[in-house]
Amino acid sequence: MKLSKLAALVFLLFTCSAWAQSPDELKTDGQNTENVTTYGMGYSLQRYSPLKQINKSTVNRLVPVWSLSLNNDLGEQAQPLIYHGVMYVTNAKWTVAVDVATGRQIWRTPTDWDPATPRVVCCGVSNKGPAIYNGKLFRTTLDAFVVALEMDTGKEVWKQEFADWKEGYSSTAAPLIANGVLITGMSGAEYGVRGFLDGWDPDTGNKLWRRYTVPGPGELGFETWPAETDAYQHGGGSTWITGSYDPDLDLVYWGTGNAAPWNPSLRSGDSLYTAGVVAIQPKTGALAWHYQWTPNDMYDYDGVNENVLADVKIDSSMRKLLIHADRNGFLYVLDRINGKVIAAHAYEKVNWAERIDLASGRPLLTELSTRLVAGEEVEMWPGTRGGKNWVPMAFNPKTGLVYLSSLHRARVVKFVPPGEYKAGQRFVGAETKIPDVAPEEPWGYYMAVDPLTGETKWKIALSDFANWAGMMATEGGLVFTGKQTGEFIAIDEANGEILWQFQTGSGINSSPITYTFKGRQYVTVLSGLGGLSAVAGTPVRQFVPPGGSVWTFALMPE
Amino acid sequence: MKRIVFIGWLLAFAVVAVAQDTDSLNFRPEQIKKGSEIFAQNCEPCHGPRMTDPQGAFDLRTFPINQHSRFVNSVTNGKNNMPPWGDLFEIADIEALWAYVVAGEKK
Repeated sequence: MKLSKLAALVFLLFTCSAWAQSPDELKTDGQNTENVTTYGMGYSLQRYSPLKQINKSTVNRLVPVWSLSLNNDLGEQAQPLIYHGVMYVTNAKWTVAVDVATGRQIWRTPTDWDPATPRVVCCGVSNKGPAIYNGKLFRTTLDAFVVALEMDTGKEVWKQEFADWKEGYSSTAAPLIANGVLITGMSGAEYGVRGFLDGWDPDTGNKLWRRYTVPGPGELGFETWPAETDAYQHGGGSTWITGSYDPDLDLVYWGTGNAAPWNPSLRSGDSLYTAGVVAIQPKTGALAWHYQWTPNDMYDYDGVNENVLADVKIDSSMRKLLIHADRNGFLYVLDRINGKVIAAHAYEKVNWAERIDLASGRPLLTELSTRLVAGEEVEMWPGTRGGKNWVPMAFNPKTGLVYLSSLHRARVVKFVPPGEYKAGQRFVGAETKIPDVAPEEPWGYYMAVDPLTGETKWKIALSDFANWAGMMATEGGLVFTGKQTGEFIAIDEANGEILWQFQTGSGINSSPITYTFKGRQYVTVLSGLGGLSAVAGTPVRQFVPPGGSVWTFALMPE
Repeated sequence: MKRIVFIGWLLAFAVVAVAQDTDSLNFRPEQIKKGSEIFAQNCEPCHGPRMTDPQGAFDLRTFPINQHSRFVNSVTNGKNNMPPWGDLFEIADIEALWAYVVAGEKK
């Protein structure tokens, strides 16, 4: 009897320690390659791994070791996490735990929402991934809740609504744990929402703070909004891509979405803090600094794209940098201590601005915005989907290059009256269409770019479809990504040549990860045509069937 | 001879049928205008400006004009990737959308 009590105690202690996932394990993600504990494979969102078992010489032996259905036709955009041999995957319908060794499902918890919710989801019904901390998994839901599940059982611990979807709010973003605080973002800037970030106590679900990305009366930045109207209440600035975190500076860097409505006739000034980045303190949500990629955004240049953190030597001193490829076509390097611009170069075709003036940090506009505001129909480069959309780039600290998928498409835009704001209905004030394109014009490029000089080291034209999957760089000299037509591919980081590929059965619209299990390197990616391609998007829908699955690869023994 | 009579009957029937459809498809201009406004705010992102650029969503310019109840059903309850709109739109709104889809962009 005593012995069994002791055994129970030992078991309990073991279980507790196994699930007592600590802040340090989040901070050092990327160093212990057995786990992937954060979105972005590290707080810096570099999506870089020091693993090199799979490299340029061995990649020809890369084979699938298992695949698991996700029972979902709505699209897979998530980046899975790995902890102690268990993989955690989310999509709009499910949260799933998978045994890495066998590919078997351990548990699967449904996520329920009103079937009308997609009315307020502009760009695909999806979810971008979970966060994990102290034995709990956290995820957002389409209808704007944040949920905590037990990591070992999938049972719900708490659930909190952070906005009413009928007012246009939704969520697809992966949460972030920073300095013990759970931070969630939201979507909805096409529906006249007011953007925000929320901070939560991960243990209890108690809300700790809310940081609006559009200031209200009396707050700093409100001078960039009309004082006499409620335009700020519908000003946009959603927060639908997970921020990065610098634990030493204790600052979270989160991109903010487009201003709303797109047509700026109801707004005035720069419309802070939309279409930019905010640096906030995770314990309080207090704003440390901000920078605006696109002041007075009227182009749907959502500024949410990932903010990659890197420490790089410039003129013999190490600098703390933030690297960001914006929808507006410029690749920025900021000093992440104070938000000052160090470099900004166009990486795609741009016709809305001549360049970014480094002294003032502001774009020098062309005549395009004047013509737009005058009611002309204009062809805008980049188009509303941006020179690069949300699918994340990778940064390799050894080469100093970012690897990204660009979009090479214009949009024809004409402003129309935005009409009266109606809760939960589109509030844009623009008609747009995709212009006719010469058949030889590429849809986009795979490119490797030096963010400090703007020099493109190589670029590969994409002639059939644009790429809508994230990039991951490894010490093995490889960059992994996936095609909308389903091929998971490994690219040579030196020249962009595709060295290896495998057809996964549906389109890839997610971000791959790599990790070790019992010393062996694995690569995992989700397959399942999603996002814009699943709702409206591109002709790819005619060629590629939907259907979500997880694919895991490793080297076949020699 | 019998065959000609039969074809004659068929033609007569067809003329009556078309006449009936046409009767039920006489929309008031203000109804079409209301439909176009609801369309521009809610439907355009997937079905394209003035239905001209559906990009993979249903091309509403090809919607069979004799399938009114199918239209109402799809808008109310959702269809494929389209969510249900029944709790947002009044019956009159859906009828205005129908008027716009049938007659709004006819040159």
